[in-house]
Amino acid sequence: MADEWDRPLPDHVTTPLLTRITEESMDQDYRQVALRKGSSPQTPRARRPRLVAAAVVVVFGVLVTTAAVQTSRNADVEDESRATLISRVNTERDSVAKEQDRIAALQNANIALEDRLDNTIADEQTATSRLRRLQVRTGYLPVTGPGVRIVVDDPPEGDVTELVRDEHLAKLVDGLWNAGAEAIAINDQRLTALTAIRNRGPAVRVNSQPVNPPYVVQAIGDVNTLQANLLDTTHGAEFFDLAEDFGFRIDRHNEDELTLPGASGPRLRYVRAGTSETSGKEGNQ
Amino acid sequence: MIAAFGLLVGVLLGLFFRPDVPLGLEPYLPIAVVAALDAVFGGLRAYLDGIFDDKVFVVSFVSNVVIAAAIVYLGDRLGVGGQLSTGVIVVLGIRIFSNVAAIRRHLFHA
Repeated sequence: MADEWDRPLPDHVTTPLLTRITEESMDQDYRQVALRKGSSPQTPRARRPRLVAAAVVVVFGVLVTTAAVQTSRNADVEDESRATLISRVNTERDSVAKEQDRIAALQNANIALEDRLDNTIADEQTATSRLRRLQVRTGYLPVTGPGVRIVVDDPPEGDVTELVRDEHLAKLVDGLWNAGAEAIAINDQRLTALTAIRNRGPAVRVNSQPVNPPYVVQAIGDVNTLQANLLDTTHGAEFFDLAEDFGFRIDRHNEDELTLPGASGPRLRYVRAGTSETSGKEGNQ
Repeated sequence: MIAAFGLLVGVLLGLFFRPDVPLGLEPYLPIAVVAALDAVFGGLRAYLDGIFDDKVFVVSFVSNVVIAAAIVYLGDRLGVGGQLSTGVIVVLGIRIFSNVAAIRRHLFHA
């Protein structure tokens, strides 16, 4: 066993691959055949016509020519398809550029529209808050808050001439407005800019609706000052003087929370709401 | 002399008939040509060395062409056709160059 290991390895194992390829670039067979022939005396090689070799060379020529012809023929097709591809690439590139321009334009338009939307939303919020303020002020929205409840009733034994009349209630209401009341209702009839307090016969009508005694006047305002201010105002003072004269039963109370109903909206026949578009334009200008 | 004549005849035949290579064999034609080139240069060198032999030349020519094409075909089937044809071209190219160098030494004694 040891002998086999000690023996030097054969050349075809130790030689590097590239060196071997270079050294054996010519087929070994030529040399071996030549050696075999060299040992035998007769050499008919020179005289023999090398027809077979010539035929192989012919085949080689055909091969080379065919390959060259094929390649040049394909070259035309490849050039053509390449040109087509290049023109297509250019066309697509142009259209991509156009699309990108469109994207930019659309984005700008989007930004402008978003700005407009923001403006419109801000306008709408302003309008809404203004509307609510107006609704509270004018009485078309139910409201709650601290205030004064004043119950006025006819005198217990009075004749028709001593009943509570529209003018009394109007004085009280005027006094309350002057004293700083923010919202007033009589027997759940909310007072608005259009409210009228009128007598029809012995009955009092508020907002054209009959109200019956006892008249409950609720006013929302500063509970700390409302009653005192009411006594200070001309109308308030007059009302209390009259009440004393006629003997009205009056009950005044501060309330932590009063809930006043909204007036039913007036039927508008000539006034029309502005459309949102026109209001938006006005907002932008 | 006869070999050069044969080559001329072959080229003329190819130009005249323009044989169409089947589409399936088309990728293997260039590699077959390179293998044939190797065999031809090997034969030329052997001729100049004075040890040329028809039989060896024919056999090496045919086997070179067939084996080179077969290796590339196998590579194509395995999905490494490009790499294998590169390897074949490298080996054949080295052989061609060293053969041509030997021929040059014979012709120009340099």
